[in-house]
Amino acid sequence: MARKWSRYQKRTFYAFISPWAAGFVLLTAVPMVYGLLVSLTNFDGSSSRWKWVGIRNYLELLGDGDVWAALLRTVFFTVIFVPLSVAGSLGLAVVINRRLRAVGVWRTIFFLPSVVPIVAMAILWKLVFNKDSGILNAILGVFGVPHIGWLQDPTAFYALIILMLWGLGGGMIIMLAALQGVPVELEEAARLDGAGGWRVFWNITVPMISPVVFFSGITGAIGALQVLVQPLLLTNASGIAGVGNVPDSNRLYMVQVYQEFFLSNRFGYGSAMLWVFFLVILGLTLLVLRTTRGLVYYEVDADAEKEGAIR
Amino acid sequence: MTATVTDTQVEAVRATSPRRPWRRNDKRPGLGTYVLVLALSVFFIGPFLWLVLAALKTPAEWSALPMKILPAVPRWDNFVHALTDMNFLGYAGNSLFLATVYSTLITLSSAAVGFGFARLRAPGKGAIFLIVLSTMMIPQILTLLPTYVLFSQIGLINTYWPWVLWGLSASPYMVFLFRQFFAQLPRELEDAAIVDGAGWFRIFFSVFLPVSRPILITSFILSFTWTWGDYIAPALLLDLDHTTLSVAITAYYHDPNGNVLPTVQAAGAVMYILPVLIIFFLMQRYFIQSSVSSGVKG
Repeated sequence: MARKWSRYQKRTFYAFISPWAAGFVLLTAVPMVYGLLVSLTNFDGSSSRWKWVGIRNYLELLGDGDVWAALLRTVFFTVIFVPLSVAGSLGLAVVINRRLRAVGVWRTIFFLPSVVPIVAMAILWKLVFNKDSGILNAILGVFGVPHIGWLQDPTAFYALIILMLWGLGGGMIIMLAALQGVPVELEEAARLDGAGGWRVFWNITVPMISPVVFFSGITGAIGALQVLVQPLLLTNASGIAGVGNVPDSNRLYMVQVYQEFFLSNRFGYGSAMLWVFFLVILGLTLLVLRTTRGLVYYEVDADAEKEGAIR
Repeated sequence: MTATVTDTQVEAVRATSPRRPWRRNDKRPGLGTYVLVLALSVFFIGPFLWLVLAALKTPAEWSALPMKILPAVPRWDNFVHALTDMNFLGYAGNSLFLATVYSTLITLSSAAVGFGFARLRAPGKGAIFLIVLSTMMIPQILTLLPTYVLFSQIGLINTYWPWVLWGLSASPYMVFLFRQFFAQLPRELEDAAIVDGAGWFRIFFSVFLPVSRPILITSFILSFTWTWGDYIAPALLLDLDHTTLSVAITAYYHDPNGNVLPTVQAAGAVMYILPVLIIFFLMQRYFIQSSVSSGVKG
């Protein structure tokens, strides 16, 4: 123990974490601050004749109907998608956690889509959603449903949700690990007391895995609020030029930002939209973390956890 | 079916998957569960099949109006077109190069940072680690657009330097993985080296890095498949001459009127997914492992 003072040198620690520190400053903080500065200008992305406009972009934002519509649409999307995604991945995990034959095969099948690159995902679902040649309309046609234009307004919104639910497998694996971490004795004790499967699930299993469910919900919501690439690619056009072809029902907030940047060349205004959104997401995260403390069950108490992180 | 399962069979299953504790009163699921699982599998696998079928059809078969589910004979022309209508292998080479450089760098830098947090001491370490964890919450897309504007001003557009810089600067998530791994190793591991007079950098490279093989692999294949699949960063930062396969397969494969050629694009997509699927099937446990640890901690 007497050796400890010489064993650890501050310098060494800072040297080891310097890649992260430098990256954080240069590649996260500097671009964010730069974005803040751009948001105070009328920069169009190329011309050198830009000027400072103060908070005019932010004031314009407040009265911009398109921005508000995009924001509401995004909230609506999040409110629909996140519960579906959390419940869906928990549901898949519960199914996979049963004593199925060839469980490894089913698990692989469920998990597989979540590793497929987003571009391939879009190409593949466009083929499925194709109005005349897609398999989905062919299947629905068997039941007498007329052909649906999945990639147009207003159904494109549901096509987007279906595409995103296809990647549930990643969430399933997380839920599966949580389910298998629930002590068997707890569930057995409840069963001995006469509780049925449903009650054991709702009153024992779900509370025990609530931190994971809660965490999935938060990260899922943060992810859903900033969805951009899927709606961008799930159109009949392609490439960056295609941003104008995103159907209105899929014009989520980030899509709107993208249009301001690359369709209207309003870099200043787009940057202002980004900053407002950043603050909204930050505020939302803090709010949720604060209000739901106590609603979820943590096995390790906070102090011990903190201790572990510092060590 | 359930009645025919013998104890030895159950034991065999237990032996092959030791981490799944079977519950004593958990009965074998009934037919209904299998119907459900099968239906779900159709949802998860069906679109893949439809993609492959499209890649094997002629354009006429694809758009035939009483729909043809199967091609009359599998056509490989689409694959030939996909390879030659654009410089497919060239773009694949760009993707491979970027993904390899980025994954190598990010794995090494994250390992070093994770090592610092796990094994070294300095004032403020706990607070800094909390900052690292909270940067995981900063949406990449929010920083990417300003980064694009900034990089276009300083001439980093159409170069691969952004990926080198991103790689050098460690990823919070990988840092977390490495920290967790290094923190649970015994102190004796470094004691001997310290007695021998080795410095911390040598200890990191010759003692800790070699034992962290599973995390190195996890970090590498995750970063690799992520970069291979990334669309938005190359779409913003690289023009069509320098871009990656993910952007190229959405940008080419058009007829002269600008309409997408679905069967050719399908063939391109099949070849584009293939490396990811191969890595996935060879390394499935690493994907699953990392997926699990990403959800355990907030």
